Amino acid sequence: MSTANLIILLSTISTGLILGSIFALVAVGVTIVYGSIWMPNAANGQLFVLAALFGWTMTVGWGIHPAVAALLVIGLSVPLSYALEFLLIRRFYDVPNRNVSYFVLSLGITQILAGIFSFTYGRWSDQFQLPPLVGGITFIGPLPIANNRLMVLALALAILAALFALLRFHRYGRAIRAVFQNRDAAALRGVNVRASYSLSFALGNAVIFAGGILFAFAYSFDLTVAWTMSITAFAIMIIGGPGSVLGALIIGMVFGFTQAAVSTVASPTIAAFSYLGAMLLILLFKPSGLFAR
Amino acid sequence: MKQDTTPAKPSGGAIPLAIFAVAAFALPVVLSGNRYFAFIAGVTLIHVLWACGMNLLYGYGGLMPLMFAGLAGISAYTVVDLTAAGWSFWLALPVGALFASVAGTVLGLPSLRLKGFYFTLCSLVIQTVITLAFVYFAGLTNGDTGISQIPLPSAGGGQPLSALSYDLVLSAAAVLGVVVLVLIVRSALGRRLIAIREDDELAGMLGINVTGTKLIAFFIGSLFAGIGGALYAPYIGFISPRSFDVLISMNIWLMVAFGGRGTIWGPVIGALLLAPLSFLLQEYYTVKDVLYGLLIIAVIVLMPAGIAGGFGRTPRLPAPDLGVSPQRGSSK
Repeated sequence: MSTANLIILLSTISTGLILGSIFALVAVGVTIVYGSIWMPNAANGQLFVLAALFGWTMTVGWGIHPAVAALLVIGLSVPLSYALEFLLIRRFYDVPNRNVSYFVLSLGITQILAGIFSFTYGRWSDQFQLPPLVGGITFIGPLPIANNRLMVLALALAILAALFALLRFHRYGRAIRAVFQNRDAAALRGVNVRASYSLSFALGNAVIFAGGILFAFAYSFDLTVAWTMSITAFAIMIIGGPGSVLGALIIGMVFGFTQAAVSTVASPTIAAFSYLGAMLLILLFKPSGLFAR
Repeated sequence: MKQDTTPAKPSGGAIPLAIFAVAAFALPVVLSGNRYFAFIAGVTLIHVLWACGMNLLYGYGGLMPLMFAGLAGISAYTVVDLTAAGWSFWLALPVGALFASVAGTVLGLPSLRLKGFYFTLCSLVIQTVITLAFVYFAGLTNGDTGISQIPLPSAGGGQPLSALSYDLVLSAAAVLGVVVLVLIVRSALGRRLIAIREDDELAGMLGINVTGTKLIAFFIGSLFAGIGGALYAPYIGFISPRSFDVLISMNIWLMVAFGGRGTIWGPVIGALLLAPLSFLLQEYYTVKDVLYGLLIIAVIVLMPAGIAGGFGRTPRLPAPDLGVSPQRGSSK
């Protein structure tokens, strides 16, 4: 294999890893919320971009150190989620067939955020670039790769691991999973169902925010990322099995690599077609997904 | 979706229909002095037609097809391409509408398996694919740039129709749309559709052909979308993938939900209120997005039955004590 081909291969793999871990983060955020409160959060892409834009304002606008800004952004998601939960989400906790209502509600939120973005940030710039978390370049074989992107990858994987551990071992995580599985039984065993609902909503959004800010550190972005991300996260959730964190992780990684590989040989449009096609097939023939609980 | 959508009178009476027809035909004539207002009226009438089609599927059928605008787009592009190839508009219109209907029936097939959110998501995916296809097949659609300077159709003699007479065509289409909807809702087909909306398993057990009824509903609903799309293209004179994207589907859905799904006049009122609004706010399209988003949330949270259904959620009656959970599938 010639050096040029090796570089292309390695760069595809590294892009695939970074994109895959970020896709997995967002999809896990969506799937946690869907699994617990049955809310298909179509606004995930806009929240993703919201986090990235907050990060941009803090670092480029106010000159805060990127690492501090990242923590602030993720912290900011918590009051935001609880406010949203208090105003809108909790009204539907007991409504039958609430996923359609939630879906439309989140489409409304999407439209509001998209409108706000286009008359605020959209006026200032059409391409946003954040300062790197860390400087320098590392060589992996012949491929030069920015330390910044390696850092993003490491952080994304660390967050995913922490999340997995939280859901598996911590009592809050166990409570969330118990409500996933059977709300009534969990309530009978003394789990505070409503608290676990709002907690999982906040947790899901925090993970989406983390994905957004990490993506913004790794790549420059524009406002159209939002819609692509929404669709991609939904595709990952549906294929992986709604509510399945493991499925979101695995399929997210697969999608990252697909995106990287297809974008190298063909175009991003083809990649989008392939996700949507895969999602349609799963919806039609195995709506419970590949990794159904 | 079960308790709050059963109107007392299932169909529009003759008197409101007559009032609507007179108003629809008088409006272009009255406004013919001012092209701008006449134009807004025309666009509104197209949206009335679309809202009727969406109402048939969403209000009466209980299916939320977010690919509705995409179907209109299929018809619009077909008609524009056919007229550019030398066809008469009046021949291309039924062909384009039929295209949209067949496409809508085929794309409605998932509704046979998927219910509620899953069908809605599926239709959203289909809408996205259609939009991507409009961009991708630039040979037919001119891609993102869109097709501009679409001429008004000719009157048969060769010279193009006057703006006023095309406005009257739009009035006729809107009135016809409402009449067809009234006829469907009063027919056995409409009653079967409502039965399926309420409980499709029960409807199937009662001997209703669920598959056939759903597909007929999709065929007719898509026909509305297609005719609207075909009329829209030469009227605006410009179409692009953005003219038929998911936001447009959501807007049409909002007209139905805001007006009152499952009633004849609710969606018509919704279209009459919201279509001009989006047009007047075109300069401030971002404000329009925010406003529409707020309206969507308001409809979902405050008035699920729409204007025609009145404000406030219908109080849920306490579950009958039967020893079985009445909220089937709601808790997991």
